[in-house]
Amino acid sequence: MTEISKHSSGHGHEGQIHIPANTAWPLVLAFGLTLSFGGILLGIWITVLGLLLCLISIIGWFRDVLPHESAEYVSVEVRPFVSETTRKVVDRIELPLLEHKPGELLPQATLIAGLKGGIFGGVAMAVVVMIYGQLIHGSVWYGVNLLGGAGVADWTNATTAQIAEFHWGWFLIALLIHSTASILMGLIYGAMLPMLPSRPMLLSGIAAPLIWSGLLYAGMGIINPAMNSRISWPWFLVSQLVFGLVAGWVVAHDENFKRIRKMPLAIRVGLEVPGLIQENHQGESH
Amino acid sequence: MASIPVIQSQQEHFEEWQLPDRGKVGMLTLILGESALFSMFVLAYIFYIGKSISGPQPAQVLDIPVFMTICLWSSSFTIWLAERAIEHGKMKIFAGFWALTIALGAIFLGGTALEWKRLIYHDGLTITTNLFGTTFYSLVGLHASHVVVGLIMLITVLILTLTGHVKQEHAHRIKTLALYWHFVDAVWVIVFTVVYVLGR
Amino acid sequence: MADQTLPIGGVVDVTELKAPKQTFLEWLAEWFITVDHKKLGILYVVYAMVFLLIGGLEALVIRLQLAIPNNHLVSPQIYDELFTMHGTTMVFIMGMPILVGLANYIVPLQIGARDMAFPRLNAFSFWMTAFGGLLMYYSYIGGFGLYGVGTAPDFGWFAYAPLTSPAFSPGRAPDYWAVALIVMGWGSLGAGVNIITTTLTMRCKGMTLMRMPLFTWLMLVVSFLMVIAIPCLTAAQGMLMIDRYIGGHFFDTQAGGSAILWMHFFWIFGHPEVYILALPAFGLASEIIPVFSRKAIFGYPAMVAASVGIGFLSFGVWAHHMFTVGMSGPTNTFFVIASMLVGIPTGIKIFNWLATIWGGKIWFATPMLFSIAFIFQFLVGGLTGVMLAAAPWDWQLHNSYFVVAHFHYILVGAIVFMVFAAIYYWFPKVTGKMLDERLGKLHFWLFLIGFHLTFDFMHIPGILGMPRHIYTYMPSRGWGMWNMIETVGAFVQAIAVLVLVFNIIVSLRSGKEAGNDPWDAWTLEWATTSPPPAYNFAVDPVVKSRRPLWDLKHPEDPDWKYE
Repeated sequence: MTEISKHSSGHGHEGQIHIPANTAWPLVLAFGLTLSFGGILLGIWITVLGLLLCLISIIGWFRDVLPHESAEYVSVEVRPFVSETTRKVVDRIELPLLEHKPGELLPQATLIAGLKGGIFGGVAMAVVVMIYGQLIHGSVWYGVNLLGGAGVADWTNATTAQIAEFHWGWFLIALLIHSTASILMGLIYGAMLPMLPSRPMLLSGIAAPLIWSGLLYAGMGIINPAMNSRISWPWFLVSQLVFGLVAGWVVAHDENFKRIRKMPLAIRVGLEVPGLIQENHQGESH
Repeated sequence: MASIPVIQSQQEHFEEWQLPDRGKVGMLTLILGESALFSMFVLAYIFYIGKSISGPQPAQVLDIPVFMTICLWSSSFTIWLAERAIEHGKMKIFAGFWALTIALGAIFLGGTALEWKRLIYHDGLTITTNLFGTTFYSLVGLHASHVVVGLIMLITVLILTLTGHVKQEHAHRIKTLALYWHFVDAVWVIVFTVVYVLGR
Repeated sequence: MADQTLPIGGVVDVTELKAPKQTFLEWLAEWFITVDHKKLGILYVVYAMVFLLIGGLEALVIRLQLAIPNNHLVSPQIYDELFTMHGTTMVFIMGMPILVGLANYIVPLQIGARDMAFPRLNAFSFWMTAFGGLLMYYSYIGGFGLYGVGTAPDFGWFAYAPLTSPAFSPGRAPDYWAVALIVMGWGSLGAGVNIITTTLTMRCKGMTLMRMPLFTWLMLVVSFLMVIAIPCLTAAQGMLMIDRYIGGHFFDTQAGGSAILWMHFFWIFGHPEVYILALPAFGLASEIIPVFSRKAIFGYPAMVAASVGIGFLSFGVWAHHMFTVGMSGPTNTFFVIASMLVGIPTGIKIFNWLATIWGGKIWFATPMLFSIAFIFQFLVGGLTGVMLAAAPWDWQLHNSYFVVAHFHYILVGAIVFMVFAAIYYWFPKVTGKMLDERLGKLHFWLFLIGFHLTFDFMHIPGILGMPRHIYTYMPSRGWGMWNMIETVGAFVQAIAVLVLVFNIIVSLRSGKEAGNDPWDAWTLEWATTSPPPAYNFAVDPVVKSRRPLWDLKHPEDPDWKYE
């Protein structure tokens, strides 16, 4: 790269700035290339003409940049730059004085609570599902296999007896699906409950499970009819409510969660405002 | 009122303000795009392995082109030696290795030409014969066309070197150009593996 | 005053360029031979606006044809050409150029550079794009085949095999489509390479990657998508040409080739292409919304991470365009999940825009109006996207007008709205004149009403079973009223666009002087004159934060203390 081509990182250059000179070669080359491609459609002579134009313009372009990039010199006289605003007053989002610095709490604290809630809720839900399997179908594995077997759609017309047996593959798949879903739901609880209005138990324990159970009830018939025909929806709802109540209880009784709930909304949603975020005194950030 | 006098402000903070080289970033980006182009043809080739419903199959007609492959891959080594030479200002050595690179590339192209001639006239495999022909000639042909473009650029540099226009300070541009040649060689690794090893 | 808190040196000069007397021809010639990123940006945008009008006209004829049942306003052949050319035009000849053009103009200014990294390549890219578009439209004249079959391309913008095979397209139409797009593809590749190189190597001092304005960030991601995705299309079209011209069998099912392979190849390009169009709109929103909310963007690092995340995800979701092809269960499941994952980063973005507006001092200027409409319309389009990402739902509604409504909600409701916002926002910088606010508000409300008339009601015939690309339909289907409403809406939109054109002409002649910084904004493009001089900045700017002009305007309260 010659120095001239580095106009970008420009130096003062005694009141002169070089900018690349105008040139027609890119236009000619583009036209030539279009013609040489278009010749496929329009006839061989068009291609020949296009290639000729390409050759000429490549040479022309080459001589433009080598050995020295052709440039224009513009003389400038630099004067002070005045940047003003009519909006000189900076409003701030007012926050009450806090006993804790919010930086100590946000936001990982409640996420860990959410993780715990998800695990506990997931275990509780699994227990309910197993009780259901034992009571109704005489096997604790019934609900597990329903999730693991139908979840990946590799069963075809399995009988109830087959579903009631223990299968390693289906068990592992069910475990994977169930734990992922439980932990994710717990994390969502941990992230969202601090932001929502009061009564966390009502929201997380009852309202949320009702909503997603309703959605699944409405959709499962389309998504997976085979699975749908075997789901006992009242029991399903019970297991979801148990999950919601346990997970919600764990999150809502977390110490960090209780502290954060007392803070103003701006902090709970993690708003970036001076005073909330760390001031950087070194002048140079990062 | 923020009225700012002209200042070359805070020079001390930005002494170390370094940005990547323009030519190199541009070339690498172009290579990224070219890789996408090649990967489509490679995917098509892999997809159609063994799907030809007639005509010669790869196992019947393809020989592993050992010699031309060695030539192409060693040209990557010679161009690297040429890069080192020009960095140290040894222009004679640079020109020598550069010419050797071109020769090796030309041998590769010649090998491809002979292979195609044999396939077309002896084995009767053309691009219209079957899926193998279609995908083989497109993929290898696409690579060969890149070799041709690379050779044209290399020869241009060689001519400029022999006329004394290329000097030590152009090492930067030479290295950028060499990146392209390395890419062409690297693509042959993929094409070679897919066509002559997996596909046979 | 020259203390440590002032981040920018004298970035502007006010030297009058001795404008030499030019004849009209000299002035015109300069536009053809220019390598200035600003002039090329204007060329891109003007070129794209012309094709916006052409593509819009095609859409109007389509809407007229569909307005009433059993209509025969145009012949089926012409109708097929219309929807193909409408799609191709709006995606390739209007959409990408207008966004690349905006990037061309804005990106170097925002990072404090004097030009793009490769100014001549920039000119070359524009002219390839321009000639490619002209070649595409030349197909109306030059595309005749045997027995006068086919002039312009008539097989939909995705050109599925075997419709493009010689047996079904005996004319030259697919060849024009492929060759013109290959030519334009070179232009897009050049533009992508150029923008990546510019953002990576031309940033002014202090402009670290995490201080780049979000529009520049988004264009960096988009350029990577362009550089990777466009060659995929070029390759597929190359194979198509090999099939058509030298007897290859890539997509020839009779020789064992696969028509499905074309679908895969097209959508491997096609889905990233959707994000190539959508991500710049996110970038524009992330520039405009903070300025008119008078607040810094909320969650800058999350925005960057979400953008890069969308970029990566975009290459793993293409087969959600192909659920009805009959792929295996696990494949379907993979693409369902991958497609729904896109909802996470886009959701992050929506929440960040809302949080930016929250608590702000909102200034309802025209750019902000378009941006607010954008957020809600993008949300709706995104939600129908999640619905269609569920394979069973897609089996019902694939290639119906529900899908057409969904992607127009994104392409028009999100992208075109943000492009309009950007035109109102940067027009003062480009020309030195303000666009008229009253006409702007008229434009906004007309376009908003027209948009919702057309595309809200388009969902309904889709659910009722109206397929995409249909020529006409029976009255008994019950789609007539909905289609009539859509057509009325289309004409309201057309009037709104004419208001914009009128506004541009009037404001160019007698608009209010803009000054350097009419919006009281914070990024570097507002730190130079309007229009900027050829070299952008007389002295290289030096920045210390994401909002260098905020730091200048509020020396007592600069950003760099907090970032």
